[in-house]
Amino acid sequence: MIFETLLSQMPYLAHGLAIAIGLLVCLLSLGLVLGLVLAILEVYGHWTLRLVCVLFERVFRGIPAIVLLLLFYYGVTDYIEMGSFTAAVLALGLRSAAYQSQIFRGAFLSVPTGQMMAARAMGMNKLQAIREIIMPQALRMSIGPWTNEFSSELKATSLAYVIGVVELTRQAKYIISNTQGNILIVFGVVALMYFVVNRAGNWALYRLENRLALPGFEHRGDA
Amino acid sequence: MLLRVENIHKSYGAVEILKGVSFDMAPGQSKVIMGPSGTGKSTLLRCVNHLTPPDQGRIFVEGEELTAKNLNSMRQKVAFVFQDFNLFTHLRTVENVAIGPRKLRGFGKKAALDLAYKELERVGLSDRADAYPAELSGGQQQRASIARALAMEPKLILFDEPTSALDPELTGEVVSVMNKLASEGMTMLVVSHEIGFARKAADEVIFMEGGKIIEQGPPSQLFEAPQQERTRAFLNVIEHGGDE
Repeated sequence: MIFETLLSQMPYLAHGLAIAIGLLVCLLSLGLVLGLVLAILEVYGHWTLRLVCVLFERVFRGIPAIVLLLLFYYGVTDYIEMGSFTAAVLALGLRSAAYQSQIFRGAFLSVPTGQMMAARAMGMNKLQAIREIIMPQALRMSIGPWTNEFSSELKATSLAYVIGVVELTRQAKYIISNTQGNILIVFGVVALMYFVVNRAGNWALYRLENRLALPGFEHRGDA
Repeated sequence: MLLRVENIHKSYGAVEILKGVSFDMAPGQSKVIMGPSGTGKSTLLRCVNHLTPPDQGRIFVEGEELTAKNLNSMRQKVAFVFQDFNLFTHLRTVENVAIGPRKLRGFGKKAALDLAYKELERVGLSDRADAYPAELSGGQQQRASIARALAMEPKLILFDEPTSALDPELTGEVVSVMNKLASEGMTMLVVSHEIGFARKAADEVIFMEGGKIIEQGPPSQLFEAPQQERTRAFLNVIEHGGDE
């Protein structure tokens, strides 16, 4: 029966989900760190650095995720040896960095200039002012838009399928091949798994946003 | 001299805002800069700590010239109080005051907080230490920003129209803190139209117009017997039916 099949295949799906989440965490982390650096350089950097960052961001936002995956796996691995998982982290992570840099850039720019001025007037150097004063405020404002990036990238992990990462979608395909059929029910279960992870992540981020909200800066619809 | 301001010039585009301003300040002195708006008073104040770098002229603090190299260490000696406070919005009041000592003066966490509480007490804000800036009134915010300046234990505090953003009933609490600081011997350079403060606490009043110092002297002399016609005209406006 189909439910017996599903039950017996569940460990594979669970494993696939774990790989998908692992890929998500890795690519978002890479995107977070690099995206922050890009944003800071774009807002405060010398114009040459700014140019490099803008170029990077335009390139990685302008190419389809699948093409990036294929480029990194089949193109770059000719020169640098790496597995499909690493290639997926790099391709999707660098792309995420480009998107995240724009989230952070907007947030940095929305911190009033008086904050930087007051920090510098105290004797902080630019880096201290960014780290101690501007970034804590900008990051708070980034959480909302960042939930969007989280959702997009979770869904994008399924594209790693095309370069052979055995994540959730690929596991589903295996199960369908092995059990000859059951397409609707297997992909239905997979869809539900993505959906649940997506909601859980969004809920956690929303909680975080509320917990870090500052008096006078809460997100309320009734104002 | 604690502060020497030497021949400061500043232009924005083709408009020359400051046309060669010079004056000195001795330790413990307080001076008030007055003059019509658009005269360059705030620009002058910003030139003193290079928030706006002057085009020409030099600033000396305790005999040492302010340069791009020693900028950050010199600014620790010259605190700045803004018209619109600019308290750090993500920090509680006490953390706003503690962050300077903590990050710039090498204080430990506990020592920085202890100092911050002491400075908040000085400005009468101990009971609001845990509030965020957005939870304070304008007058409280300005007093907190004065405490933030004091926690750097500066040689000199620059005040840029510290009461101009406040409702009239809130200026008093800020002015009385400033009076107290002046009487304690703090060196203060204040851009303000608070005649009350100038009369009571200032050792000298500088009257500026058109990017230049027109007249300076003790408040009694400047207010009672101004030498220049333009000073007289200005005082007449702010004392009778002026908008400040």
